[in-house]
Amino acid sequence: MSEPSIFFSEVNERQGVFHRRAFLFGGLAGAGLAALGGRLAYLQLLEASRYQKLSVSNQFNFRLTPPPRGVIVDRNGIVLATNRPNFRLMMSRDDTDKPYETIKTLAQFVPLDNARQARLSRDLKQAPRGTPIPVMEDLTWEQFSSINVRAQALPGVTADMGEVRVYPHGGAFAHVIGYVAKVNKNDLSPSGPNSEPIMLHPGFRIGRQGVEKAFDLDLRGRPGAQKVEVDARGREVRQVPGGDIPSLAGKEIKLTLDADIQTRAMEVFGDESGAAVMMDCRSGDILCMYSAPSFDANKFVRGLTGPEYRALSQYDRKPLFNKALTATYPPGSTFKTMVALAALEAGIDPAQTRVCNGAWAWGGRVWHCDKHHGVMNMHSAIVTSCDIYFYQTALDIGPDKIAKVARNFGLGQIFDIGIPGQKPGLVPDPAYKRRTFKRDPVWHPGETPSMGIGQGYTNVNALQLCVMVARLANGDKALHPRLVESIGGIQQPSGAAAAELPFAKEHIAFVREAMASVTETGTAAATAQLGLGPLKMAGKTGTAQSHTYRDGERTSTSLAWALKDHAWFVAFAPYDDPRYAISVLVEHGGFGAAAAAPRAREIMRVALLKDPDLRARIEQPTPMPDIPDQPADGAAPEDPTPISQAPSSPSPRPVTSQ
Amino acid sequence: MTVSALTRPGERDRLTVKFAAIDWVFCLVLCLIAGTGALMMFSIGGSSWQPWAANHLIKFGIFFTLMICLALIDLRVWFAAAYPIYGVGLVLLLAVALLGETHLGAQRWLNLGPLGSFQPSEIMKLGMVLALARFYHSISAERARLSWWLLIPVVMIGAPVLLVAHQPDLGTAILLTLTGLSVVVLAGLAWRIIAAGALLVLVAVPPMVLFVLHDYQRDRILTFLSPEKDPSGSGYHILQSKIALGSGGLLGKGYGLGSQSQLNFLPEKQTDFIFATLAEEFGFVGCILVLLLYAAVIFMALQTASRAHSHFGRLAAAGVTGTFAFYVLINGAMVMGLAPVVGVPMPLLSYGGTVMLTVMIGFGLVQSARVHRYSEVTSGKGALV
Repeated sequence: MSEPSIFFSEVNERQGVFHRRAFLFGGLAGAGLAALGGRLAYLQLLEASRYQKLSVSNQFNFRLTPPPRGVIVDRNGIVLATNRPNFRLMMSRDDTDKPYETIKTLAQFVPLDNARQARLSRDLKQAPRGTPIPVMEDLTWEQFSSINVRAQALPGVTADMGEVRVYPHGGAFAHVIGYVAKVNKNDLSPSGPNSEPIMLHPGFRIGRQGVEKAFDLDLRGRPGAQKVEVDARGREVRQVPGGDIPSLAGKEIKLTLDADIQTRAMEVFGDESGAAVMMDCRSGDILCMYSAPSFDANKFVRGLTGPEYRALSQYDRKPLFNKALTATYPPGSTFKTMVALAALEAGIDPAQTRVCNGAWAWGGRVWHCDKHHGVMNMHSAIVTSCDIYFYQTALDIGPDKIAKVARNFGLGQIFDIGIPGQKPGLVPDPAYKRRTFKRDPVWHPGETPSMGIGQGYTNVNALQLCVMVARLANGDKALHPRLVESIGGIQQPSGAAAAELPFAKEHIAFVREAMASVTETGTAAATAQLGLGPLKMAGKTGTAQSHTYRDGERTSTSLAWALKDHAWFVAFAPYDDPRYAISVLVEHGGFGAAAAAPRAREIMRVALLKDPDLRARIEQPTPMPDIPDQPADGAAPEDPTPISQAPSSPSPRPVTSQ
Repeated sequence: MTVSALTRPGERDRLTVKFAAIDWVFCLVLCLIAGTGALMMFSIGGSSWQPWAANHLIKFGIFFTLMICLALIDLRVWFAAAYPIYGVGLVLLLAVALLGETHLGAQRWLNLGPLGSFQPSEIMKLGMVLALARFYHSISAERARLSWWLLIPVVMIGAPVLLVAHQPDLGTAILLTLTGLSVVVLAGLAWRIIAAGALLVLVAVPPMVLFVLHDYQRDRILTFLSPEKDPSGSGYHILQSKIALGSGGLLGKGYGLGSQSQLNFLPEKQTDFIFATLAEEFGFVGCILVLLLYAAVIFMALQTASRAHSHFGRLAAAGVTGTFAFYVLINGAMVMGLAPVVGVPMPLLSYGGTVMLTVMIGFGLVQSARVHRYSEVTSGKGALV
């Protein structure tokens, strides 16, 4: 500081003031920096762990991954509903400034027509930022890889792999199993399982009908999570290896259905409309429940187009209804089994005869039969399906007794088989009329003969008639139908654990015998022969009027489809050792014996041939003539009687007919 | 110091002598800070020189050369240019107020056609320091302490501050005010006035906040007071910055591994919040080292100022140092959640050419005051008129 300028007093004073203040200024700056250092120490040393936690929660996020939906299999483990990989193309708006241009680029690699491009562009504008919207499902591998390679040039576009539901049997199980679809707003609820965030995942599907809907929660499984590193806008930067929470696949549901029988049912219906239900009459397991015509559930998974949906919903044979459960029709003559049993229980002698002249005048009107049957007892009346006999018998015993038997055999009720959509139908009686008809609460005597032939108010569905015939065939237990064998390996209660039928065994046996004669010599003799050697089917035809006949009209076979009668056939086989019971409905099919019985026969044959015990009976060795005893070590060369086959190795050739 | 011993006439005007007189340690520290900035930009650019790191270094190289050139310019030239620069700055600020471009709701930029656009307030940061230094050079200590003459610096500070605040650019307005006032205080303002002024500020600030500020400015201050109230909205900047700092801990997450900055949780990570990036990746130790570098710059510059023989040189160098120190303190306080977010970068560390240019020109002036510390600046009395 030995500079000449300091000797000037004024300059010296200014310099002195400056030096003092500059020193102070430096001190203040130093203090300020020290304060920053102190603040840093507080944040980075004392509070570090707290901020590290916040940092980690910023950096990492868990992305829900939908669990594989539970597989649905048939009783033999054949897959009825499973999942397959699906290459999916999605797009979000967050990092594309010009989504329309990206869509244009995209259209070079995947088929997107102009209308679809415009709709995508609009959807993108409306979608919340960062929410991916689906562009295309089910890309081919070539499309998937060509998009993935060009990911850099396609901002906001992601092609990933998800799973999609697939029904390998197409339409055969569509009504029982139902299908899955995208979640819509109505599916969401503020609490409970339908409030879970996985519901909003674009790959999640919810069960819509049948088993998929009824057991949706079992099939869903538990979502997993993928630990991902995200940036500030929530976009995934990378997956964190080892940070995943595995998802838990949904439970496997094993149905009692048999894919072979079900598929055969689909085949035999062809274009006809109707339903077939088959039960194991020892266990109550439903082996077949088919409704015709059907639809391809896979199309519902993908999402139907408007024209596709209209075609299905407007078709007059109503493919979207499960007719096995929802369609109720008068049982027609199949109901005569119930009337006969009621008569036996009421003490009517089955040998008592009535005369059928084709028509019977009673109560101020003429009651018709389709033939002149002549003298009828109970057995022959069932075999020939004589209406006159049952008009009179029903009048003798009254509606209450018939209704009691019918209800004990499962008619008019809903069974807990797990899936919704059953219509109860109706078994009428005077109490029902009192309850329901306020203006005409009286059971008119004329209503009883109608009930005696399964017409009038009586209404049943195919499942109920199958239960009826299964209980008849069982003869002992009031079997319950069972559709779901196990859920996630846990066996469901068997249908055989049921109360005994409160009727005399010999009465039930009488009805069974009559049913056996129906297929031997009766109404279905021409159409219900199994052709399986010793195995015989017993059954009962039914023809239910779908409209009131005009005068002189006796049959409906020449009428338009929608006016024809409904054809029923119920049966069980083998007659001598009942195992399978079936009911077949052909809507507007005409005569039960012509339209329903052959179909029941074909379906039944599959079931019988699949049963190893019964197959052994069918394939019993051809009887061989008695052969004189041979030496134990085989035939001698000079043996005069050549034997081509040893009796211990029977021919596998089935005896097909007799 | 070796140069100061030489007294031969004209010796000090030789370019080599001037060159050697530059404080090269000081220059080294500046390079270290700018280099650290580039290092962080390389990291958050995804281990890439683009888009920031290379640009930052190139700009720094150009401005460093400019600083050396300016250091060789005689202090008398600076003295002569002081009022013209201030005048030009004031005219440009007026021009901005009348026909400037609006960016992001603030009218700060002047479009120069092919030359691009720039902010005249940057010129004023330097112009005000120069003009005040020249003014105080010209008046006596007595007048500088307490006299009617002091109305002149009040106007000299007030006019540009009001114009800048009107843009509105609160950060720069505060910075200009603080810089101007620090020159006034260093020049010897009476302590009574300082005390009275401080009192006035304490009384006047709350009503100012409530009635004069724009909504977004008021929001920033309220947000600063309780950032957790609205973590995704206006409190986001402060909260994310504090998370970045705090999660760095003692030694940091490691170079290139700062999740807050790498994943864009940290806003303005390469500009205003680059210190938080540094803090996240290098931790407390890295931060303290960088703060020490800044302390070194401030103290070396103040030392240079103290050694200048002319009052102009002293005040100009100290004023520039003040501007720099306020940048550092305001940005530091903002990043650490001690001050509202006002958009002040960390000088030399942050990306962005304008502030770097201002600071490097300022340091050119500081070095000029060092190189020419013996030069006799024209007598104050004659120059004032």
